[in-house]
Amino acid sequence: MDRRKFFKGVGLVAFAAIVAPTTELKAVDFRATKPEAWQAEKTADGIKALFGNGAVTQSDKISFKAPKLAENGGSIPITIKSKLDLETIALFQDANPRSLSCVFSVPKGAIIEYDFRIKMRQTAFVTVVGKTRDGKLYSATKEIDVSIGGCGG
Amino acid sequence: MGKAKIKAKEKKGVVKVKAMFTSLMADKEEATKKGIEASYIKQIVASINGAVVYEISMSGFMSENPLLKFKTKGGKKGDKIEFVVTDNHGKSTTSKKKIK
Repeated sequence: MDRRKFFKGVGLVAFAAIVAPTTELKAVDFRATKPEAWQAEKTADGIKALFGNGAVTQSDKISFKAPKLAENGGSIPITIKSKLDLETIALFQDANPRSLSCVFSVPKGAIIEYDFRIKMRQTAFVTVVGKTRDGKLYSATKEIDVSIGGCGG
Repeated sequence: MGKAKIKAKEKKGVVKVKAMFTSLMADKEEATKKGIEASYIKQIVASINGAVVYEISMSGFMSENPLLKFKTKGGKKGDKIEFVVTDNHGKSTTSKKKIK
């Protein structure tokens, strides 16, 4: 019995040690702090919900690579690159029921070169919006042609 | 939620990381069409030596089995990179990998 108790105790301590630091690490949980942004159907509404009413400037300081014609809408490779000191980067599209795809929160001094893949149901505009640490908004927009819709469509 | 495949390599102070996570990434609409429960990854946080180097929150409109690539200066050979993945049910898993 004592032995069993002992192991239980050790297990609990180990569990706590694993769980405790991970909860601290989360800098910004955008799913919790900006729930309305994830529900927005249009890009413009999504930007407003996530970044507020600030003016968004089209800029070539944020560049993102995407194929002009995507054969498979289920997996479209996207690369975001920027030399600006950005705090938040978000990707919106008009193809899916809700427009926000993902939000990066960039640690200080990080190299901004992010590669990932998204789903799109149909041909639509994709907008990347970045917020600098002094609160300015920059964006870049591209149209992506989708021949076979992904996302179960 | 399944396993994560992680590759991390250091070269001249820059760590290149490639990571793939298994998830259906099915949002509400897609899940009803397929007749399954909605399941997608909500957030992925990567850290080296306790400092966050990468953080992404996402919706179900990322592609299935999300593949992420990024570069960071915050690590060197032998350090461990740690990924914490949270899904839409609030369950989180941690995976670690040594930087080569």
